[in-house]
Amino acid sequence: MKTIIIGAGKVGYQLVESLLHENHDITVIDSSQDVIDKLNDNFDVLTLKGNGVSSQLLMQADCANADLLIAVTNSDEANIVSCITAKKLGTKSVIARVRNPEYVTELEFMQKNLEIEYIINPELAAAQEIMRLLLDSYNSYAVDFAKGRVRIIEVQIDSYSDLANRQIKDLDLPESIIIAAISRKGKVMIPNGFDFIYPKDNLYVLGERNSIDLFVRSLGVPIAHDNEKIRNVLIVGGSIIAFYLAKELEQVGVNVKIIEEKLERCRELAEGLNNTLVLHGDGTDIELLKTENIEKMDAFVAATGFDEENLLLTLLAKQLGAKKVIAKVSRSSYNSVIETIGIDNAVSPKLITARDILRLIRGGKIVSMSLLLGGQAEVLEIVPQEGAPIINRPLKDVGIPKGVIIGAIFRNDKIIIPKGHAVIGRNDRVVVFTLESDVDKVKKLFNPKRGGVPSHELFNSD
Amino acid sequence: MNFSIVIKNLGMLLLCEAAAMLPSVFLAFYYQESTISAFLYAIIIAVFFGLLFYSLKVKENIIRYKEGFAIVTFGWIAVSLIGALPFIFSGVLPSFADAFFETVSGFTTTGATVITNVEIVPYSLLFWRSFTHWLGGMGILVLALAISPALGVGTFQILRAESPGPISTKLTPKLSNTAKILYTTYLIITLIEIILLNLGGMPLFDSVVNTFGTLGTGGFSIKNASIGAYNNVYFELVITIFMLLSGVNFSLYYLAFKQKSLWHFWQDKEFKVYLGIVAVYILVITLNLCGSVFNSFWESLRHASFQVVSIITTTGYATTNFDLWPDLSRMLLLSLMFIGACAGSTAGSMKVIRIYLIFKYVQREISSLIHPRAVRAVKIGEQSVQETVLSSVVAFAMLYFLLFIAATLLILTQGLDIISAISAVACTLGNVGPGLNTVGPAQTFAPVSDFAKYIFSLCMLMGRLELYTVISLLSPRFWQK
Repeated sequence: MKTIIIGAGKVGYQLVESLLHENHDITVIDSSQDVIDKLNDNFDVLTLKGNGVSSQLLMQADCANADLLIAVTNSDEANIVSCITAKKLGTKSVIARVRNPEYVTELEFMQKNLEIEYIINPELAAAQEIMRLLLDSYNSYAVDFAKGRVRIIEVQIDSYSDLANRQIKDLDLPESIIIAAISRKGKVMIPNGFDFIYPKDNLYVLGERNSIDLFVRSLGVPIAHDNEKIRNVLIVGGSIIAFYLAKELEQVGVNVKIIEEKLERCRELAEGLNNTLVLHGDGTDIELLKTENIEKMDAFVAATGFDEENLLLTLLAKQLGAKKVIAKVSRSSYNSVIETIGIDNAVSPKLITARDILRLIRGGKIVSMSLLLGGQAEVLEIVPQEGAPIINRPLKDVGIPKGVIIGAIFRNDKIIIPKGHAVIGRNDRVVVFTLESDVDKVKKLFNPKRGGVPSHELFNSD
Repeated sequence: MNFSIVIKNLGMLLLCEAAAMLPSVFLAFYYQESTISAFLYAIIIAVFFGLLFYSLKVKENIIRYKEGFAIVTFGWIAVSLIGALPFIFSGVLPSFADAFFETVSGFTTTGATVITNVEIVPYSLLFWRSFTHWLGGMGILVLALAISPALGVGTFQILRAESPGPISTKLTPKLSNTAKILYTTYLIITLIEIILLNLGGMPLFDSVVNTFGTLGTGGFSIKNASIGAYNNVYFELVITIFMLLSGVNFSLYYLAFKQKSLWHFWQDKEFKVYLGIVAVYILVITLNLCGSVFNSFWESLRHASFQVVSIITTTGYATTNFDLWPDLSRMLLLSLMFIGACAGSTAGSMKVIRIYLIFKYVQREISSLIHPRAVRAVKIGEQSVQETVLSSVVAFAMLYFLLFIAATLLILTQGLDIISAISAVACTLGNVGPGLNTVGPAQTFAPVSDFAKYIFSLCMLMGRLELYTVISLLSPRFWQK
């Protein structure tokens, strides 16, 4: 597939990395020479320096024959214009990133009248992700698949855990759950029965939801009960994410406080929000945090513009007694650290955006997906296509790559955790855990031999 | 540095080279020559080491700057070592220094030879010798990239280290596709020239071999008197045109083909400057020759144009012994050895684009003396050039001359006279081929000492890989962790 990406900032860069694994022919347009040099050093892509709005440059990038154009520069307006221009020049599908809250109401208009197939708003998506995490009963990362019947959850092993220093085959795990991956010092590995589990490992456990809950509870990981619902949330940093999050939380009747340093921004927030208490002050000021009853807070969200500040703030809040803490962290380099220092959740707008775009590109056959560990691994829920190599054969004969685990099969409202002799049928939904490097192979397993998805099928997912 | 990926790539390269020797085996078989065993032994050795290296387990499949430089430099040395084996085994060049010199001269498309009587050498070996020109012209690693599956992440480093010119660009998002396009273009032009020469009455073998020498801008000939031996104006015309074409940036052909217009050629500043230099040199040398060496204007034009094109494209074919020409013409030809043709072509030396940029740079310096506060961008056509590229070009020129002086001094210790030494270093560093005096077009490099041959071999390698690639490996920093 021929893909043009305009703007290789954080999101663009992540997209290039992910799409290359899936064998796209990628052309990147960016106006900064440094970015171009970095791309050339690291990836096999064609780079063009310049403004992605220019029709000349777009033609030079051969956008008439491109299947997809993704505009993710800093400027919303430039993204929109690039998309419209490319569409007029013959690009089949276009995606624009639009993040300004003032345009949120315009999105539908743009999609309909400007023929931009999809508009992504990373801040809104991140706010929704935080929202999901807040309302979720776990303290750590968990995602549900197959209409909530299958769950994958991250469990951290401490040195006094029952599982520590034992081989997986000796663990006596329930039938319906599997350890899909172990993240050790920031690196992901797919374990076999002979691998050991060590303290400080993060396990990704996949299985039927009730069994997972039982298993997790047996490990002593706290799970909130329904009567412990989130009622009070403190947000530090009045960023766009904070605005969206507060807006969403207001709607479900949660008490929200936002602490923001700049008076000007405080005023804007106060104007835009209804029931939220906007406080003018420094979020790192312990006295202020204590005055605002941080120890009584059900959740604490650090959403300032600085990753480092967010990380330290969440640690501080945890220490002061906040029950659940979430940090906004944009840089994926910190992922390996976050796991070890005991922050419950880190949300990265960049990863969420990349995930959303990937889901769109992969088209109708993938029901839902999730990027784990800064994009090192993915969980996909896939419906196999007619004639795909994986169906109607025992799994052990299919030749599944090492980095791929068929986690669960959802058939007639039942969950099957497959063994080697299990057979996948045409109407099953399959939950697959895969390392980033094997995504392309997974795609091949679930699609018939010839060609990819016709591009008109690209945008009818969900 | 990640040694395993370097060695694995070398293995891949040696396997490619073994395959490249197969046509020579068929020729040896066809002409019933005794060289067949020489080639077979060389192939066995290449396959052995190739498989050994290739089977190495690679920890991290990423090629960074350092690995790119190492792969290209060691790759070229390894390929030259193995490529020299048929010369040694067949007994044509029993001395290692001679065989290595000849092979390096082939792969780097220099065309300087140590074979005094080339007309008695077996056909299969002559073919191999010229085939190395063809492979080396577009780049052996670019070929490996075109035909082999992905060798690792970051293969652009390889293209950057191997391809000539200050700025490397890709034509398509996937590097392997770019390599395929370049080689397809190369192949098509090669076929056209073979057909044209053959139609004009040149024997098929001669057409093929001379075409390899032309397209790779190499210059190995299968006649002692080079192209002059045929004494045929049509052949000279065809070869002149194709030498000129080989000196053009190959991506221009692709763009012209894709957009079905020749407009790109005219838009390309380097192309225009290149043609301009050729025209001016031909005119001046013709006028200089007319009356003093040749009687007629046309005779002068014929030889002047062939020689100018042959030297500027760093091919090194000769139609006449230009060493007997007046000093002005000889000096002009010597100066051409430092220019070379366009970046992205198969030619060697400094390249027109660098010379052009240096002139622009100097021009800017001079104008800033008059207007000290002026802010000016150096431009190629309408495209402004980054300051980092400019400074690297100036440093390149500086390095080129330093190496030129150093190598000349070393060669002078070996008993050559000053004209021979200067021209020999200039023509090996620039991958031209024949020099003046002792190493003139009617002579060979056979009489120089073994030490000098190794120096020349190093000059050729450094020249072909555009100095930095090889020089960076000599720096101690390169090997620090």
